[in-house]
Amino acid sequence: MSAPATSAPGKTAEQIIAFSISYERDTLLRRGMGYDHLRELLIRLARRILRRRISVAYGGNWRRTEQNFTFELLNLIADEQADSTSGGTDTGRAIGRLYNHSSWPNYLDVTTQVEAQWINSCRVIRVTQQQAGFAGDEVVSDEDAPWKMRFRDPRTMFNAAATLSAMRRLMMGATEIHVPDVPAPEKVPAVAARILLGGGVERYSGFVPGIFEEALATLEHGKPAYILGGFGGAAEVLSDAILAPGTERPERLTLEWHKEHNERLSELLDSSEMFPPPRQFRSTKKLLDDLYAFVLNARADLPNTLRTGLDGPETRELMTTRDIATAVRLVRKGLASSLDIQP
Amino acid sequence: MSQHPAASIPQVYVLWHPDCSYGERLAQRILRWLRPGNGLGPEVFYRSLPRPGAMRTPPDLPDPSHRTSSGQKRVSNLQVVVVLLEEHMVADWSWRHWIDEAGRHPRTERAIMPVALDATAYNVPARLRDLNYLRPAGLPQSLDSPLDDATFEVVARSLLKQLTEAMCRLILPRPVTAGPAAAESPAAEPTSNAPLPKVNVFLSHAKVDGTVPARRLRDYIYSQTQLTAFYDENDIAFGEAFGQIIRNMLASNDTAAMIAVRSQKYASRPWCRRELSIFRQPQPEDSKDQPEKARRWRLYPSLIVEAMEGSQISPGIPETGNSTIIRWADDAKDLEELIVTTVIRDAMLAAFHSTLGASILSNSTSDGQKHRLVINWLPDAISLLSIQAVRSGETRELLYPGRGLSGMELDTLKEFFPKLELISFEDALLESPGELLL
Repeated sequence: MSAPATSAPGKTAEQIIAFSISYERDTLLRRGMGYDHLRELLIRLARRILRRRISVAYGGNWRRTEQNFTFELLNLIADEQADSTSGGTDTGRAIGRLYNHSSWPNYLDVTTQVEAQWINSCRVIRVTQQQAGFAGDEVVSDEDAPWKMRFRDPRTMFNAAATLSAMRRLMMGATEIHVPDVPAPEKVPAVAARILLGGGVERYSGFVPGIFEEALATLEHGKPAYILGGFGGAAEVLSDAILAPGTERPERLTLEWHKEHNERLSELLDSSEMFPPPRQFRSTKKLLDDLYAFVLNARADLPNTLRTGLDGPETRELMTTRDIATAVRLVRKGLASSLDIQP
Repeated sequence: MSQHPAASIPQVYVLWHPDCSYGERLAQRILRWLRPGNGLGPEVFYRSLPRPGAMRTPPDLPDPSHRTSSGQKRVSNLQVVVVLLEEHMVADWSWRHWIDEAGRHPRTERAIMPVALDATAYNVPARLRDLNYLRPAGLPQSLDSPLDDATFEVVARSLLKQLTEAMCRLILPRPVTAGPAAAESPAAEPTSNAPLPKVNVFLSHAKVDGTVPARRLRDYIYSQTQLTAFYDENDIAFGEAFGQIIRNMLASNDTAAMIAVRSQKYASRPWCRRELSIFRQPQPEDSKDQPEKARRWRLYPSLIVEAMEGSQISPGIPETGNSTIIRWADDAKDLEELIVTTVIRDAMLAAFHSTLGASILSNSTSDGQKHRLVINWLPDAISLLSIQAVRSGETRELLYPGRGLSGMELDTLKEFFPKLELISFEDALLESPGELLL
């Protein structure tokens, strides 16, 4: 296991494009698609990016299930390299790799064996409670975390959600990983753009849906955000909110709606009142308010707020299309324009 | 094989009622069968849960005769709608209306394939009831309790076999026997009892290693399918004759496929190798009289049955290229069905990719066409070296099916053909000036 990452300003040569994607069966099936379609979309986008020597970031879990985008990306990268998964040596084929940002306590599931197996394809970036601003007695021990999570211990839940928020914030900036006894720190570049699709609106473990928080972090850093709303989920809620006329605030961007529809959030909000917030912590209400401010900006000036590199009609099409080929074409075109990445 | 302009490029929709406990599993199996990975095969979509804003019914099917909402032209020219019919869908008035409406389009644009999953499946609106149903085997009399895994497997395999044959009736080219009008309507009665377009399967094996797999496959083909099997009973002695049979098969308008039983001595039998080598020769689809001018090339599917036993050792066979491989086991139940259904499926996919490739090529600029060549198989060095225009470097762009080869495969091909740009169909479709979409 390597040391955790620390924030570090400055640019690095390598680029990262982040994916915010999760499979929500019902929302996708209502649109005539299933897991295989989302996987196809992910692979079509990711492979082109990787071949441009750009890395991808995806904060998925490592559970060995049939439907896990982490392993889809790892297998894709392994296909492009030598067979590094079976212990062979890496050919050094010049393609990107996967950065798996993982916040406490989720990274406790990443075993040494798993990390060793995928070491040539993936860099696991662990974001600790300390990086989220917890110190001293506020820190929950790694040994206690799984047991306490099971019984919904308020402190553990609060620290886990706050560290998740911190991870989403930190990955937007360049970081350094200090490896013991290695003179130069490893540089992890900032996320240069983000592609968002799917995502749960009612079931999530943080303070707001992951897609919302990651979109907000991306927009606050002035990076391109490709919101593929046509594939349902939180990305569609956000897309609909942006494309709606006027100044009315959709109820799914309000605290009341989320408290009513996510029982876990209510528990989390109760527990967060028991503890002093760490630095840079934002409440659910503040996160939703900040996101809504960007929604209003986007309603007034869509391409320049989302920085897609596409014109207004193209950006609208990107946000509403349910056609995989159209989505792929527009994201590629946008990335080529906004990041000067040849499609 | 002569592809005519009306050849089908289907897009498949699988419908099931949300209360059908195994509908989603069947739909996933259909998708993964028809789209076996890497973007190969026709697109498959689902219809089950209510569309956003609707109470009970799923998203409408796109109007097959219209362009997309953004005005783009569709490449697919046929919708195949597989309806998984059982009591929940039959008794649901909203669904009955939906499927009845879906059946209003001409069958040349939308082919409905009803699947009977229980006895009530026939109690549907007349438009569907009059169609020829797919009837998967292995279903229990009553579906009160969920299907166990073993039963589901039997049902799924049977459905895939029947669906493959029905899809072949839509996609495989038919011999032109009744004049031009007949040739222009290949999908007129897609699920009727019309015979399967002719598929000639050549069974190649080394008799010296025994004949069990080849005989069992031949017997299955004769008793359970409408295919024609050529069985090289005499191994070496009549090898010359079988070489000519293969050449005739490849030159005919029928579809050909090869199943090679790769036993221990197969690689060392000259005529086995010769059969395989002839069969794996790419054939021009256009300009047959002047192959040097051909822009479209085809390769019929070959399937390798791996029949080595125990710790036997054998040399490799480069001619097998990217052929599908299935391992043989004497005691494996229904293995013949899997092998034969797979080779038919691959024949269907080969025809699909031929037609799709022709469509992409015809939408290239005339200048682009001069240097482009389209193939219907995943390229490998051996098969590409057989095409003179590629070998000489005259061809600058090679279009091939699917989403694209892996980086390793591209690197290997680049060593053989450094000036050749390999472009997948998916990339060609994305970058086409006509903005074609499937």
